[in-house]
Amino acid sequence: MGGGLAGMVAGIALQQAGKNTAIVSTGQNALHFFSGSFESLHAPSERLAELFSAAGIRVHYRDGVRLMPLGTFKDAALSLDDIDLFPSPKFGKRVLIVNFLGYHDFFSSFIAEGLEKQGMECRIRFLNLQELDKTKAHGEMRSVQIARSMDRIWEKVAQEIRLLLKDEDTVILPQVFGLSDTTVPGRIRQAIPARVVFVGTMPPSVPGIRTQMLLRKRYQLLGGTFLMGDEAIRAHEHEGVVHSIATQNLDAHYLEADNFILATGGLFSKGLRSNPFQIKEPILNLDIDCPEDRNNWYNPSFAGEQPYMGYGVKTDAQLHAVKDGIALKNVYAIGSILGNTRPELGSGAGLAIGSAFAAVDQILRCTQNDNEEPATPVILSEAKNL
Amino acid sequence: MNPNEFDVIIIGGGITGAGTQRDCAMRGLRTLLVERSDIATGATGRNHGLLHSGARYAVNDAESAEECIRENMILRRIAAHCIDETDGLFITLPEDDLAYQQTFVDACRKAGIGAEIIDPELAKRLEPSVNPALIGAVKVPDGSVDPFRLCAANMLDAKLHGGQVRLHTEVTRFIREGDTIKGVHTRNRQTGEEADYYAPVTVNACGIWGQHIAQLAGVKIGMFPAKGALLIFAHRVNNLVINRCRKPSNADILVPGDTVCVIGTTSTRIPFEECDHVAVTPDEVNLLITEGAKLAPSLSETRILRAYAGVRPLVSADDDPSGRNISRGIVCLDHEERDGLKGFITITGGKLMTYRLMAEMATDMVCKKLAVEKACATAETPLPGSEEKSYEAVAQKVWESPTTAQKAAASRMGTRASRIRSANRHDDDLICECEEVSVGEINAAIERLDVSTLTDLRRRTRVGMGTCQGEFCACRAAGLLAKAHGCVERERKDLADFLQERWKGNFPIGWGDTLREAEYTQWIYKHVLGI
Repeated sequence: MGGGLAGMVAGIALQQAGKNTAIVSTGQNALHFFSGSFESLHAPSERLAELFSAAGIRVHYRDGVRLMPLGTFKDAALSLDDIDLFPSPKFGKRVLIVNFLGYHDFFSSFIAEGLEKQGMECRIRFLNLQELDKTKAHGEMRSVQIARSMDRIWEKVAQEIRLLLKDEDTVILPQVFGLSDTTVPGRIRQAIPARVVFVGTMPPSVPGIRTQMLLRKRYQLLGGTFLMGDEAIRAHEHEGVVHSIATQNLDAHYLEADNFILATGGLFSKGLRSNPFQIKEPILNLDIDCPEDRNNWYNPSFAGEQPYMGYGVKTDAQLHAVKDGIALKNVYAIGSILGNTRPELGSGAGLAIGSAFAAVDQILRCTQNDNEEPATPVILSEAKNL
Repeated sequence: MNPNEFDVIIIGGGITGAGTQRDCAMRGLRTLLVERSDIATGATGRNHGLLHSGARYAVNDAESAEECIRENMILRRIAAHCIDETDGLFITLPEDDLAYQQTFVDACRKAGIGAEIIDPELAKRLEPSVNPALIGAVKVPDGSVDPFRLCAANMLDAKLHGGQVRLHTEVTRFIREGDTIKGVHTRNRQTGEEADYYAPVTVNACGIWGQHIAQLAGVKIGMFPAKGALLIFAHRVNNLVINRCRKPSNADILVPGDTVCVIGTTSTRIPFEECDHVAVTPDEVNLLITEGAKLAPSLSETRILRAYAGVRPLVSADDDPSGRNISRGIVCLDHEERDGLKGFITITGGKLMTYRLMAEMATDMVCKKLAVEKACATAETPLPGSEEKSYEAVAQKVWESPTTAQKAAASRMGTRASRIRSANRHDDDLICECEEVSVGEINAAIERLDVSTLTDLRRRTRVGMGTCQGEFCACRAAGLLAKAHGCVERERKDLADFLQERWKGNFPIGWGDTLREAEYTQWIYKHVLGI
């Protein structure tokens, strides 16, 4: 349940291990506002590196910092190849920042100010592309619309940038390249005789959407069933075991399985829901530790840590979801539905991946054990014959 | 002529101050208005935005009722682009006494308010969102008014008449010679710059903060801070104002305004120290939702955008703890007569509805002191932007075949929409999608309406007032402000302040979609954009 990063990683790992899986996904998920960096992860484990590489997702890591869209720097984390990681914030001398005229979701002046603070010289230029006028005529100019054009006209853009370039050693561009053609960011880098740094925009995140598409492709190639545009609405549980789930689109056709993974996300993704009195998990009504007095849910300071963002479903050591104080034997909760109840598994994208692998391992261990047990029905029938 | 010398200094950039400056400026006086924060930051911007017909006061306070209906008719003429002539209903629910309806209608008629009893079935057709259980309905000429727009338009007109405005400028002390106030010493809260301004008359128009200003001047006014909490819903649920036909009480007015509607209010006495930081409590939120749903049941299912509270500037008359039984009457004090302090006037009490009358009274007093004989013309002269009544006609004139976004701009700016630059094809780009505010409109506000922060911009254009609560538009608008002011560093802090300000109104109602949006905003700004 849930086709975000956690659900996709779990699905792919299980398919690879020879399991038969289905993913129920509404379509939109946290990858649509992905920064391009996997928070709380550093160098990838061999397992993750293999999974990403087989899906065509190229990642890298080095100690240092990354440049954020408002011109600030954050510690490096495992990142998509689009995202540059620098040993220190002063990564160049002279920087050309290029934006598209009429595009307001890329914050060039903030980036320039951030870099100037580090002692870099910045020049901001706007490209006035007729091709984008058409995009605009059909609606607003946002990252994905521009990225669709860029898949076609990136060569022209690279040429225009070459003309703009004077003595700058670095060119900064918005992350609007390589939405469907994943080779475009690399080709832009080759076509421009300076270091090209792609910096994030206001969501939707182009690298995030691309990552989502690659993961889905890989999952389906491995034989997984991806139920797009659907969501789980109810689970049928008996004595601590879930037998099947009902979904929005499949009506009375229930999905049956040996194991269920709940990767439906946090509040924004509706994996958790809230009303004035409580925070709830809508499919199974799982246990959540959340103070009754709503006043405790919030930090009045926007900048501070928000308690409500930490509330998540309760799990046991093996990530079995807990309902009415009892761990459900075949239901696992992973990803941001956990809030920060499992800080040892990381946060953000790191939590999604860490908890997905942990749940997958647990499922694989359990099914191995099951296979070793003798098949009881056979013994029964033999006894009868005697 | 010393550029720091004026005929009159007005302290306070709420509607009373702005209205007084306009009136003074129109009578030929050289005026200066100083405001320690932005326009309409006190009670002016923290109420229902109800264009009272006066009906609410008719039974208990005939004088206020008469003032209201007179000013109501005047504002329709002079402030067309700030007003939505919606009409209003006073409904009787099964739990209310239907006999009160006749008392109410009689009192309205006596005050000159056109009140008409209508069939509850007709009321349901006129206003489909109204509680279908109603047993009685009276139609009155209520409406809604955008207080930010009204305030900005008054100030703009004062400026067009030569007035000067200093926002974010605080009066730190009075310049006094013997028993006369000669001027004010001020400090700009953003730059720290200090300046002295001189005038033979200073007007204290600071609402609830007027007590403090009077104290600085050495005179005493006993004021009575009464907090009122309100909620904004994310949809315009109703098209007519809905009131309860009973004695005024908590949460019994629902006002439609632009794209939203507002329920309120409560009345709680608070200590003076809290006036600068009024917060809405969960109990108030619960009460507002419960009572609001009695007016329009769909409110219980409608997303709430924000909670906010204002402080009524009532002058204490007695020790009534609720603040409801004293008249919201206008208080205009000549401190020379009252306290022997020359050159100082206080104008307070009253309401948003009667600001023009208050301004007239204060200006009459100023003129008397300066021996200027010129009649007040504010009741007949339209505010800038209101020369044309229909915003659609305005949009037509400016753009020939206006888009919905351009019509929205015309509804906000009135005839001043013609000032929106459209030389550049990118001036039509939308910055705020919820409220359909374009680059051109934002730049026009920055150029003409003293905008220094994103929150200032919000009050003048509605940027960030819609369902996303600034999540997407704040950054975009910050980019334009950084460009206009040439300072990114200041804008970075401004952006953080703006998000904090939005959060302040969100967390008291932090559940459901509001909390979803908040979580998303938190994530985007902290982890994706890196504020």
